Amino acid sequence: MRLHWLELILFSTYAELRAERARSYLGFLWWIIEPAMNMATYYLVFAMVLKTGQPDYVPFLLIGLTLWQWFKSGVSHGGLSIWQQLNLIRQVRLPLQVFPSVQILADTVKFAFILSLLLVILWAYGYKPNITYFGLIPVLLVELIFTAAVAYLVAAFIPFVPDLRFVIEQVLQVVMFISGVVFSLDSIPPDLRRWFELNPIVELIDAGRDILMYARWPDWIALGRVTAISLAFFALGTYLIRRYTPRYVKLPT
Amino acid sequence: MNEPIIELQNVGIAFNAQLRLGAPRFWALEDVNLALPRGARLGVVGRNGAGKSTLLRVLAGILAPDRGRIRRGRASCQLLSLALGFVPYLSGRDNAILSGLMLGLRRREIERRLPAILEFSELGDFFEQPVSSYSTGMYARLGFSVAMQVEPDVLLIDEVLAVGDTEFQQKSGAALRERIHSGTTVVFVSHMDAQVRNVCDCAVWIEHGRSVMQGPVDEVLAAYHAAAPVAEVAQ
Repeated sequence: MRLHWLELILFSTYAELRAERARSYLGFLWWIIEPAMNMATYYLVFAMVLKTGQPDYVPFLLIGLTLWQWFKSGVSHGGLSIWQQLNLIRQVRLPLQVFPSVQILADTVKFAFILSLLLVILWAYGYKPNITYFGLIPVLLVELIFTAAVAYLVAAFIPFVPDLRFVIEQVLQVVMFISGVVFSLDSIPPDLRRWFELNPIVELIDAGRDILMYARWPDWIALGRVTAISLAFFALGTYLIRRYTPRYVKLPT
Repeated sequence: MNEPIIELQNVGIAFNAQLRLGAPRFWALEDVNLALPRGARLGVVGRNGAGKSTLLRVLAGILAPDRGRIRRGRASCQLLSLALGFVPYLSGRDNAILSGLMLGLRRREIERRLPAILEFSELGDFFEQPVSSYSTGMYARLGFSVAMQVEPDVLLIDEVLAVGDTEFQQKSGAALRERIHSGTTVVFVSHMDAQVRNVCDCAVWIEHGRSVMQGPVDEVLAAYHAAAPVAEVAQ
């Protein structure tokens, strides 16, 4: 992608965040309040009411939710982005990957706030910073690529079947529960668990918990596998968007 | 005549009429032949729904033909798009940068032109305010000032020759006329004979998605009106 489009992506991200901030009284405070309320809800239901009581459940849950929310918002915002910009696409020639990329970057900025908040909470709980924190860099980078990959794939199809947008949120909800965000997957029999672990999100969240809770380096082989899957999906998503670009402009208004 | 910048041969464009399985496609352009020489100012005439705007978007490279062939020389083609990609909550300045980037300018090129945009749009302090607080006229002034910063090899214009209130109409009209007559290649879609005669040195007549005739403005307009129902000529 040419440098010029990178400039467009960065400035659009700034514009997106700035416009979002201007649309409410509390502005960017919502980037922290909203996910905090979300976490509080899960905490209330699963830790207090249902007593999903493994030790360390609070950090387990918060790490899972933080990494999950980033992926989820990137996919649901990025996935709609091409469909939402059809009017613009009819007027000007642009590489359409710009639109999902902007949404994902905007969500990444918000994720940075929540991650900082998470780290503060973890330190308060007694999980101290340690050398394996450097392992977070590749883990987060792979999650970013995987998020972009899924968002591109969704974004490529929604313009043809806008009805899918009613399904996406539900599917994401299901994926969350089978990704070990709220419940540990340990209770699942090992031969079944193998299938669950094909899901890159499971590996990424595991890696996050290893680092932040147990000061363990991530499972590099698993991370390598997830990287390969992510890059393959990313290439496929990019290919599909480019291939379908001439067809998006011919869709009915 | 010199080598054409863009040449269309038997070009057809089909759209999906609606989102429904098995919905029929309709051909907005059926069979268009056209040669656009470098430096030409080509007028596109034809009735409502003849496919004039579709043709412009083909020339802009936004629509790819479903049949026929396009040959392009090395040239940038751009629709004159007003307020492209404007975001209501952003300031005039930010919108100018955003819109400029979408129109293909580099960030530093736009930054360099911001003073000119500010001056031409006559927005003053409002330039730093969100465009959602603008009046219609101010919005149009900013949109036009930004659009004029892009200098494509082929400028594509759909009807718009001037915007804003009476005073700004004169100013924007003059600026656009100057651009048009500065040697750029221009394609201009219009319903008004007088405008086409003013702007263009050749014309093409599109009827039901087919190019009927291309040639000197007077000949094409004469043939077009000879075939047109009287009621429509009145305009």
